[in-house]
Amino acid sequence: MEKKKRENVFRVLARWFVRFFFGLKYEEKWFGKKEQPKKEIVFKNGVPDDSELIVSPTRQIFNRFIERKFAVFSVFVVLVMFAVVFIAPNFMTKYYDAYTETTQKDLPPTMALMSVPGALKNNIKMIDSFGSFSVGLSNDGKVYVWGIGQIGATGINIKEIPEEVKNAKIAYVAAGQDHIIAIGEDGTFYGWGSNRFGQYAVTDAVLENPNLEPVPDAVLNGEIDVSHIKRVTCGYQASAILMDDGTLYIWGNKQAYANLTSFIGKTNITDVDFTLNYVVGLDKKQTSIYSGTRGLYNMAREKITTGKGVKMSEFLNGRKITEVRATSTSICMLLSDGSIAFTGDFQSDVVEVPTLEEGEYFVDIESGTYHYTGLTNFGHVYSFGGDHYHQATAPTVEGAKKVFAGAFQSYAVDGSGKLLDKWGLRGYLFGTDDRGADIASRVVAGGQITMTVGAVAVIIEIVIGVSIGLLAGFFGGPVDIFLMRVAEVFSSIPLYPFMLILSSLLAQVSLTTDQRLYMIMVILGILGWPGFAYITRAQVLVARESEYVTAAQAMGVKESRIAFKHILPNIISVILVNMTLSFAASMQTETSLSFLGFGVNYPQPSWGNMLSRASNATAAINFWWQWVFTSTILVLTTVCINTIGDTLRDVMDPKSTNDK
Amino acid sequence: MGRYIAKRLLYMLFVFLLLTFVLFVLYQMMPANRAYTDARTELQTMKQLSEEEKATKFDELYLKYQRMYGTDTDNKLVLYLRWLGVYPYYDGHVSGILEGNFGFSYEYNKPVIDVIPSHLRNTFLLGVITEVAVLGITIPLGIRCAVKKGSRFDRFTQFFTLIGFSTPSFIIYIIFIVFFCSILHWFPVSGMKTPGSSYTGFRAVLDVLHHVALPTICLTFGSLAGITRICRASMIDALNLDCIRTARAKGLTEKVVIYSHAWRNALIPMVSIIVGGFFGTISGAIILEQMFGFKGMGLLFFSSVMTADYDMIMFLEVIYTFIGLFANLVTDLCYGIVDPRVRISK
Repeated sequence: MEKKKRENVFRVLARWFVRFFFGLKYEEKWFGKKEQPKKEIVFKNGVPDDSELIVSPTRQIFNRFIERKFAVFSVFVVLVMFAVVFIAPNFMTKYYDAYTETTQKDLPPTMALMSVPGALKNNIKMIDSFGSFSVGLSNDGKVYVWGIGQIGATGINIKEIPEEVKNAKIAYVAAGQDHIIAIGEDGTFYGWGSNRFGQYAVTDAVLENPNLEPVPDAVLNGEIDVSHIKRVTCGYQASAILMDDGTLYIWGNKQAYANLTSFIGKTNITDVDFTLNYVVGLDKKQTSIYSGTRGLYNMAREKITTGKGVKMSEFLNGRKITEVRATSTSICMLLSDGSIAFTGDFQSDVVEVPTLEEGEYFVDIESGTYHYTGLTNFGHVYSFGGDHYHQATAPTVEGAKKVFAGAFQSYAVDGSGKLLDKWGLRGYLFGTDDRGADIASRVVAGGQITMTVGAVAVIIEIVIGVSIGLLAGFFGGPVDIFLMRVAEVFSSIPLYPFMLILSSLLAQVSLTTDQRLYMIMVILGILGWPGFAYITRAQVLVARESEYVTAAQAMGVKESRIAFKHILPNIISVILVNMTLSFAASMQTETSLSFLGFGVNYPQPSWGNMLSRASNATAAINFWWQWVFTSTILVLTTVCINTIGDTLRDVMDPKSTNDK
Repeated sequence: MGRYIAKRLLYMLFVFLLLTFVLFVLYQMMPANRAYTDARTELQTMKQLSEEEKATKFDELYLKYQRMYGTDTDNKLVLYLRWLGVYPYYDGHVSGILEGNFGFSYEYNKPVIDVIPSHLRNTFLLGVITEVAVLGITIPLGIRCAVKKGSRFDRFTQFFTLIGFSTPSFIIYIIFIVFFCSILHWFPVSGMKTPGSSYTGFRAVLDVLHHVALPTICLTFGSLAGITRICRASMIDALNLDCIRTARAKGLTEKVVIYSHAWRNALIPMVSIIVGGFFGTISGAIILEQMFGFKGMGLLFFSSVMTADYDMIMFLEVIYTFIGLFANLVTDLCYGIVDPRVRISK
């Protein structure tokens, strides 16, 4: 006997695939004939009992639909799509239409933003990051880089660590937006990544540009004493080295940091950090934040969410600031009594400072793009501040000796350099767009809008179209002629030109984004109804002439009963089919209009306007993830909806046979 | 027949007037006042006037320009009739689209009618080539699929036409641009000729062809799926007709049955697609022309809407409406030619 292979999910899927593409012949050839269970003919009172074979029309339609594997699969896909789009947002990271993040622009899909290399895991000396990649230094002076190596479309891969850095023993590393600097044990200065703004090397172009501050000679020539370095840090396109005698070396793009000039040549600094737009420092007096700009960061408060706070001198009340750490928009100060204070602005979704145990106080604070991670004398870690990507949701950690934070990640490390825990943003499933927003969450939010617009437009089409078609079909005569002429007028309106004009008209009127959305739905609906009117009218006319209606009339059935019991069911099946197909068509129209910029507009996402950047050929190839995922999902959805519509039409047609 | 056409033309005229009136009223809602801006501009040239004189002078100029442009009334119907060219302006002259005054494009700084021809020619060429290619591919394909219904070839085609039919055209264009321009570098991305080039003669023609090749391919590809599906469906319906069974029973060859008997019947639903397609070429493909910078009617319309060039939009809209209505008429007439059972004279 032939050995029979077990049917499993993959075999079934492969069988369907083969059947779909190659036909039944090959399916049977490669997978063997499916054994059809033989039906026993049961005799009842001497005649074959086939009562089970007779099923209601609905049941029959259902049965025939179930037979079409691809259609069932499509229903499944569409349901999943609906679930993802309408239910999943409740479980995902918070989403804002207009979310922008300069440091996270145009990042390819990755889930490795937080993947510390295995060789570094038990041996961490320091970790730093600012944008899309992180740099780590092991206790034996080796440098590791993880995250996204490609710097935009420049072709630079930051993960390619220069040979001399690999061979040297490194003492300090720091990462900026698109560059990394490192200082060897012998004081040698290294840098790699982008040097467009003089981040690490001095070239003629850098010297000629008045907006750039070149790397100080002392740093370049390796004259600094490594044992006296207090802090090495990088900002957007700038870097700073602080010595423990208060000497500050700072260089980089003065357009990114307007107040950078006021820090050059300073020798009385005890701490320094970069926000997104300002360099902030702490001078020897340690009683205020020095930024070279009057009135900036001169208010302080204990908690994140308690307003602007009070004057710095009043707040400090004799205490001193010992450490300054800055996110993009705010600053956290560690005070001499172990408490912390804040100044600056925070995003709307923040995690408040935790209440510490009795006798517990902060010994170190590190900052990311929006969040802070603090280490206490008990070895506990706490995160607070901006929590958009759950980067301020810290796990419970015992025995931490060091914490590192950068961008949207935090790492807790014990005394020997072993990584205890890491938390924050792992990456972007579909990458980020040109504004730094997560495409995956925009796809979900855009799907809500695209599907809602499509669905509401179809509902409007059906309501208008079916009622007009019914009226025309029932009454006939002049009413019919008039209504059909009206339908003809509407169907001869060219859709795209008309939509473009209406959109530009709407742009003159000040509408809220939601009102605009309703207008688009209504316009799509109003321009699309004639199709439904024609179909309904034709069906009503056919039904009125049919024998069963004549029979019903002859039997004296009431007109209303004929209309609802005999004619309506016939229409409903046809409307259902057309509804499905029109839904897909409306989605396509909406996405096309939004793509052109005349439908849903930024910041509201739609599957159409998310693709508009791809009309630029260079952007389309460099930032492929910005259109590939969105359009795949859009096409998949419309293909599945159309398949359902087609299959419904096939199975509802009593004349069609099963041989397809 | 003649009477039918006359009746249809009368109806067309009615719908045409109705649609243009609606559009015209919509335009009047746009916050643009040419008379006001022109009066302001002219006033600025007169520097020696005092403030009071300026105010009176402005009113004078404003009225003059309003009368010149025919906007000296708020009655929308009067404005519309003036635009149409049946109601006289303040000075008694009549100048509207019926007199051949189609308006003035401020964007191109010349009469609208002078801007249109070159764009129309480009679009028309693109459209006709595309349409011929599309029909040349889809009709044989659709027939083959219908005849071999359920075969591997049919399934394969069905699957791909389903995807093509469900994909918004701009995604197809993006894929083509990425593939042919960014990866293969076969074609330039946009424009009608190499920038800065001064080719002459044959070279120039080749250059233009090189630039319009990709838009043509894209446009053709974008409309393949839908028409193939329609062709297949109508052919399947035709093959199920009783007359086909009769023809086969008579012993006619399969070729005769398919191409003579079935195709004739399948053509009836196809007529509106074919006729509509040819007329649609004139309106242009807005998305395609915008993406490729193809200087056709679609791009003209798009840029006019972007720059609020009202006279231009209005005239293009008139063309679109007219074409749409005319295509309907031609379709109905073609039904009569294709289907002898339809009696047009009714």
